[in-house]
Amino acid sequence: MKSKISARTFLLTLSIAVAALFTACDKKPEGGASGGKKKLAYVTNGVDPFWNTAAAGVRAAEKKFGVECEVLMPPKGVVDQKRMVEGLLARGVDGIAISSIDPKNQIDLINEAASRCPLITHDSDAPESKRLCFVGMDNYKAGRAAGKLVKSALPQGGKVMIFVGRLEQLNSQQRRQGVIDELLDRPALTTGVTMKTDPNGFPLIGEKFTVLDTRTDNFDYARAKANAQDAMASVPDLACMVGLYAYNAPQCMEAAKEAGKIGTMKIVSFDEQEAVLQGIADGTVVGTISQQPYYYGFESVRILAGLANGDKSVLPKDGFLEVPIVEVTKANVEKFRVDLKKMQEAGK
Amino acid sequence: MKKLLGIFGLFVFIFVFTALRSPNFLSAYNLQNLVGWTSLFGIISIGAAFVIITGGIDLSIGSTVGLVGSLLSWLLMHKGWSEPAALLAVLAVSLLIGLSHGLLITKMRLQPFVVTLCGLLLYRGLARFVTDDESQGFGSAHDGLRRIAIGKLDVVGGFAVPVSVFIMVGIAVAAAIFLNRTIWGRYLLALGRNETAARYSGINTDRMKITAYVICSLLGGVGGILFSLNLNSIQPSGLGEFYELYAIAAAVLGGCSLRGGEGTILGVIIGTAVMRVLYNAINILGIPTHLEFAIIGTVILAGVIADELVKRIATKRRAVRALSGEP
Amino acid sequence: MNLPEPNARPLLEVRGLCKSFPGVRALRDVGLTLGCGEVLAVIGENGAGKSTLMKILAGVQEQDSGEILVNGETVRFPNVRAAEHAGIALIHQELNLADNLDIASNLFLGREPQRFGFVDRRRLYSDSLGLLAQVGLDCAPRTLVSALSPGRQQLVEIAKALGTNARVLIMDEPTSSLSRHETEQLYRVVKDLRSRGVSVVYISHRLGEVKELADRVLVLRDGANAGELQRGEITHDAMVRLMVGRDLGRHDRTARGHGTPVLEARGLRTAAHPRKPLDFSVCPGEIVGVAGLVGSGRTEMLQVLFGIDPTAGGEIRMNGRPVRIASPLDAIRAGMALVPEDRKQQGVILEMAVGQNTTLASLRRDARAGFLNRKREGEIAVQMTTQLRVKTPDLSQFVQFLSGGNQQKVALAKWLALEPRVLLLDEPTRGIDIGAKQEIYRLMEELAGRGVAILFVSSEMEEVLRMSDRTLVMHEGRITGELRRDELSEEAIMRLATAHTASAS
Repeated sequence: MKSKISARTFLLTLSIAVAALFTACDKKPEGGASGGKKKLAYVTNGVDPFWNTAAAGVRAAEKKFGVECEVLMPPKGVVDQKRMVEGLLARGVDGIAISSIDPKNQIDLINEAASRCPLITHDSDAPESKRLCFVGMDNYKAGRAAGKLVKSALPQGGKVMIFVGRLEQLNSQQRRQGVIDELLDRPALTTGVTMKTDPNGFPLIGEKFTVLDTRTDNFDYARAKANAQDAMASVPDLACMVGLYAYNAPQCMEAAKEAGKIGTMKIVSFDEQEAVLQGIADGTVVGTISQQPYYYGFESVRILAGLANGDKSVLPKDGFLEVPIVEVTKANVEKFRVDLKKMQEAGK
Repeated sequence: MKKLLGIFGLFVFIFVFTALRSPNFLSAYNLQNLVGWTSLFGIISIGAAFVIITGGIDLSIGSTVGLVGSLLSWLLMHKGWSEPAALLAVLAVSLLIGLSHGLLITKMRLQPFVVTLCGLLLYRGLARFVTDDESQGFGSAHDGLRRIAIGKLDVVGGFAVPVSVFIMVGIAVAAAIFLNRTIWGRYLLALGRNETAARYSGINTDRMKITAYVICSLLGGVGGILFSLNLNSIQPSGLGEFYELYAIAAAVLGGCSLRGGEGTILGVIIGTAVMRVLYNAINILGIPTHLEFAIIGTVILAGVIADELVKRIATKRRAVRALSGEP
Repeated sequence: MNLPEPNARPLLEVRGLCKSFPGVRALRDVGLTLGCGEVLAVIGENGAGKSTLMKILAGVQEQDSGEILVNGETVRFPNVRAAEHAGIALIHQELNLADNLDIASNLFLGREPQRFGFVDRRRLYSDSLGLLAQVGLDCAPRTLVSALSPGRQQLVEIAKALGTNARVLIMDEPTSSLSRHETEQLYRVVKDLRSRGVSVVYISHRLGEVKELADRVLVLRDGANAGELQRGEITHDAMVRLMVGRDLGRHDRTARGHGTPVLEARGLRTAAHPRKPLDFSVCPGEIVGVAGLVGSGRTEMLQVLFGIDPTAGGEIRMNGRPVRIASPLDAIRAGMALVPEDRKQQGVILEMAVGQNTTLASLRRDARAGFLNRKREGEIAVQMTTQLRVKTPDLSQFVQFLSGGNQQKVALAKWLALEPRVLLLDEPTRGIDIGAKQEIYRLMEELAGRGVAILFVSSEMEEVLRMSDRTLVMHEGRITGELRRDELSEEAIMRLATAHTASAS
């Protein structure tokens, strides 16, 4: 009995503490702005520095278009994302931009949200839903661009391995296929959900390049690093590692550094982590494909702000606003870094 | 030692099997990686073992790793703390975590599962809050400090041993001495079997349990330091996720009983090694990664079943011996 | 109902039963006959083979050789079902009821009356009433088993067995967890069953019970028949003689203990009875018994003395000086030791080696800077187990595989290594066989002879009468009287224990 009472007291204290914590954190500008500013929401597919850059774009657009936009990063995939969207709908928002984690199976959720407020997708599209448009890039094209970087670094060809967090996501599948098709000199495809992908687990042999396995790590950085180490151990003549997610290439760099292969092992990256940019500047990384997430945030908010104010002309034709990719190599890395800094500063 | 035969056999089997299938498995480079990872996971698994020996559980190990790892680089890179100060601070944080677990479990009589489950959520949230959910990293700074996690020492035969191995071996030896050669270790084993009888024998069971939780969180903290130094880039929302399950699995695989009172440090290390060799073998043999959880789950289950069978035979023998011992 | 003539034709007969386990012969050529409506008591020391015999009769185990005959026909019991079919049911020592179900569901567990594939609840409850009436249990069949006292649960078990039309009930230590009142009710039920022609095989350590109930006594020793006693021959001494194979000496002596008290309690209060202060003292070399009914606060008193439970007030003095005892460790440092009531839960660690159990309390004293002194530990383990004659193949054996008596010796050995000045014993011989009991009595006397003060709680009248130099009697948390050796008698104790006289002092 006694312990029960004390447990209850403890819970009570805890809930008071938690409540206090929430009130303390709830000092966002929302409160005062209920008068005029439209409220928008920018939902990502996870927690990642990539999204911090996108958030910078959101902040810049907020100022420029006079709206308020909440950035929501679901830490635990589909379930968290659903919870967050439902919360938004319950509170009422004037527009949502969402990066769909599972495009095929989230259609109900996206359509429901789209029926209540203007909804667009960014980064990862859900083409079969009622979203108004998609802000993003062509991941397949980006993959091919990465393939070109590999080719430029290894004119003689060689063995290539790909590293990624998860292969279930459309963007990783498209990137991977782009890299493979470019290295095997296949003709370019037009992207779509129904795109055929090569099965994983079998070496794909082309004229010059052999694309070995694609290893996944489920966003565990230690696994990502171990995957890179194991790749070097099992394939002594591995020539190039391609990291499809932002954190993959930095872990490949760590592994190569410890193995004494930094510089000789060709590393191709996606996105713009500082370690990668430094690597490009130092010549230890061939290059990276930046999707310019800043513009994902900026453009999404621009379109949503227009829609919220009844301006349909902001919608791109074909429902697709392509944010151009940037190939960052030693030639343009310094300028890219400066621009990135500027963007991030502008967002603050 | 006999109790470890089953798990050691499993280890040898996987090791030999992989070595026969792929010559690269036995390369010095691969073995270095293998012992390096085994060391890091071994350290947190030893911590888990202490708590499991008392019959408790700690689900917050992964979050402790995440909080300590994130805090360390945040303090060093954002707050400009000196290395000793930052290390001391994060170790103090992990010590406090363990202490509060112990106090809540012994003095408030809360269940370990509940307390540490809340810890799992709380420390993860704290890590994300403090760092503003931004990725942390050391860049190219603190290379000296990072040597304790990624440095290697050359020993005879050209085989370079990762520094983290020495840390793990140091901790393991200290833990084994504590468990087997001190009265406190004996007390832990005794209270894990039967807390009431231990208390009736004059053992301060509450204090011993608190000690176990402190050791566990402290080793989680050491693990957090080493993981963050090793990986260089740290995501507060992701570092150490599920590591409590790896640690618990390794401890159980190594002969710890979740009922308490049973377990050896050597067993835990072998258990950890089995898990790491498995992950490594899956990569080296080119088995598709989406099969890895299924394979690892199956092997752990097989290991635990083998262990249970060995134990049952041993128990039967003991019983027979007891009967024949009586006139 | 037609009353069959007792012993007319054996309902159950066992001939030449043998059973071996690896390394031990549990039964050698054991024979037994049981007539209709007969109560046969089977007694013997622990390990004499009683349990094995009963398990074979109930189909839990199969014999290696030998015959079982029911109504003169040879039968085999490969499983419990087969035995039940032949009308033999075992009432387990540990109750085997699902305590989250109600009485009726337990009575018909696994053979529920059915209608269209569903449980016929109406018949379930009406049939239950009939069975409950047979054992004189006046509870609603819908009562949850967990709400019943152990005694009533025992009756439910018996009713359950009767529900399978059992003609032979095997009861294994049925009264071990029952109160006095419940025990008497059980006696009535057994006698009633006997009068209705149900036969009972009754296993017990309590010879008083056997004397009360048995028509005939079968004594087993070392897995073989040691003898039989007919109704007229059943006496305490005769049973003991057959069980141990020798006469036990009777001890008559003058009171020991002298000098100034080593342990004194002044106005000591327990949390269970905070308004009832306790005052008593124990002198060096004195054996003080604490008698009283179960629940009279005796165990609570020992636990407060030893620091298990916090005191609710009062003072404890050792050698005339007040000591603060907030934990067992304080008590140990003050020179006390406690062998608790529940051996398996409190006294020993079952899944730990004999050696490690023996040294658990003395480790701290012999350690240097926290490090075990393994040499000293080994010496103590050998010395104590030899001194107490603990029967174990070796010191690494788990305590759980020892007999109850040897487990109790281990629980004692743990403390003797510390050479306590005050030894607190709570039911020191509960559930152990006669041989081990004698050894523990001898040990208590030897320790007293060396000047150790002993305070022991016992529910066994004989034990108190035999061992105490002085007896404290408790009733509802109060010490209602103190009896010197020359005042000591069963009647005097019972008077004080039930508080029929005005409380002393």
